[in-house]
Amino acid sequence: MDVGRHPNITLLTYSEVEDVSGYIGNFKVKMRRKAKYVDESTCNACEECVKVCPVVVPDEFQMGFASRRAIYIPFPQAVPSSYLIDMEACLGNFPIACGKCMDVCDQNSINYDMKDEIIEVEVGTIIVSPGIDMYDPTEHDEYGYTKFENVLTSMEFERLMGPTGPTAGEIIRPSDRKMPRTVGFIQCVGSRSRKKGNPYCSNICCMNTVKETLLLSEYSSDIKSKVFYMDMRTFGKGFEDFLKRSKEHGAIYIRGIPGEIEEDPRTKNLILTIEDTMTGKIEQHEVEMVVLATGITPRVDSEGIRKLLTLTTTSDGFLMEQHPKLKPVEAPTAGVFLSGCAESPKDVRESVQQAGAAAAKAQILMGQGKVKVEAITASVDSEHCTCCGICAKVCPYSAITVDVKNKIPATVTEAACHGCGTCSAECPFDAITMKHFTDKQLLSMVDNYLEEKQKEKIIVFACNWCSYAGADFAGISRLQYPDTCRIIRTMCSGRVDEKFVLRAFELGAPIVLVSGCHYADCTYINANRWAQLRVEKLWNKLERLGIRPERLQLEWIAASEAVKFAKVMKEMEEMRKKVTIEEIKETEKILKQEREKKEAREKKKKKK
Amino acid sequence: MAEDNNTKMKCMRCGHEFFGHYEKGVAEERSCPKCGSFSVRPLPEKKKPTG
Ligand SMILES: [Zn+2]
Repeated sequence: MDVGRHPNITLLTYSEVEDVSGYIGNFKVKMRRKAKYVDESTCNACEECVKVCPVVVPDEFQMGFASRRAIYIPFPQAVPSSYLIDMEACLGNFPIACGKCMDVCDQNSINYDMKDEIIEVEVGTIIVSPGIDMYDPTEHDEYGYTKFENVLTSMEFERLMGPTGPTAGEIIRPSDRKMPRTVGFIQCVGSRSRKKGNPYCSNICCMNTVKETLLLSEYSSDIKSKVFYMDMRTFGKGFEDFLKRSKEHGAIYIRGIPGEIEEDPRTKNLILTIEDTMTGKIEQHEVEMVVLATGITPRVDSEGIRKLLTLTTTSDGFLMEQHPKLKPVEAPTAGVFLSGCAESPKDVRESVQQAGAAAAKAQILMGQGKVKVEAITASVDSEHCTCCGICAKVCPYSAITVDVKNKIPATVTEAACHGCGTCSAECPFDAITMKHFTDKQLLSMVDNYLEEKQKEKIIVFACNWCSYAGADFAGISRLQYPDTCRIIRTMCSGRVDEKFVLRAFELGAPIVLVSGCHYADCTYINANRWAQLRVEKLWNKLERLGIRPERLQLEWIAASEAVKFAKVMKEMEEMRKKVTIEEIKETEKILKQEREKKEAREKKKKKK
Repeated sequence: MAEDNNTKMKCMRCGHEFFGHYEKGVAEERSCPKCGSFSVRPLPEKKKPTG
């Protein structure tokens, strides 16, 4: 309500984002304002239209427990408080067959000819708050959801208990519309399971059930609650006291998840068979209603937002933050922030915290009006750029623009560039320079390391955030690893150019290792994938040239994996020992010839 | 195209060979089922000329 009235906030409800372009401070957002067929500026929500609308459809907000008309307000607290017409259900559309709502509307707010409107706004920052979907427990045949009338999900039960719900807060069970005297709650439905549903914990279900048992006990002392659980996770402030109160009010907590639910066809009561893991006994419990504490899943349409904002997701499908501990509110794309359950399941308290933090972070940027760009960014030498477009394709942040068709060279939006260096490594014409991590700087490190005793050196390319940090951690943990490893730090494994690897082999390196962040944890969204593809290409190239591809290795090592870093280095050392002087000499010869051929080709091309 | 796991993979660390999913130009997370290494090289069969 406050948001709706705030002079500095424009609320666009019933709208969809269709396109986002630009970068931090200069985003352009294209939106579709869907036609509501009711002018919200004049509608005074008098309800006269609803009274005459002849179309009755299930009410989505009430989870189908009640019906609504074709003209409706989606839910009681909706802002703005004005009606809209569900045109798929309405009879009044082409040709007008009904028009009753129009006839009774004193305000003349109804307009069947209203069209979707496309609007474009310029914004400096974006906060993504896509909401959640609830897990659909239909696949759990054993619980009989949709088969037995008195088996509900926690969301359905929530509506049933709500004062604005279909029964105005009266708790009844669907089969006979009588108050249930025993309610069984089954926890972790669709959560913490690798077989059905999702492997993660949905965070809110335990406390939601505890709350519901308390509400039931307040509603009537005749209702008994039984909670069937694996573990009750009551880790937040005051949560344990809340659970204690629930138990004091008579709720019974039984450690065991029902294997099966059966229905008594006569009473429609439900019989739950469980193994109580505390006592080890198989028990049967008869209850009059069952509530499945269903988990949370990412919004199905958040995938669209992800693509528009070049974001990425973690393996559970939620949007990935820039850093799980240090930047939990920032999205990897600069100027974009995550709130609510965008990034993981959250309860109200955590959602409020995250939303507040996201708003504050966005306001800091907006208040300053300018951003500090990264010191390590890419710059394009337009003379060497052939407008091939590869750099733009590999940039995880869409920070590079190039017009392939009209041959307009690449340009880098510095404010959007995060400095991974993938573009520089991929550019076939060496037209992109990474400030502070130039080809010259990195190649001279390779040269220096391999100036002498080449056979005893393993060249390790390590990304700044994970593998290099892992090496550092191994060092401070005083873990022993072979002193033959020579580490070259790059910001990202995506920066490791094919020519760095080939130069190392040409100068006599027995083994080269490319290492980076774990697959889904790349600091630069997905730049490590380009490193992987490059290594795969290099394996093929080495083999074609008659060089053993096994001498090039790839590994993902996290900052916390000091032990793994040491282990991998020991493995590299074992591999190094097996590379003979003859093999190294042969490689040097092959690659020298190969390089000379390439240089001659380039010379010839230039002359032309 | 249907999901197939019939591309030969070779672990560049321990030499173990196995089959997995491969799509040209698409990076996928792969690890060796024997030694756990991420140095897994896809060895797709070269397309034979048709006709
Ligand atoms: Zn292996």
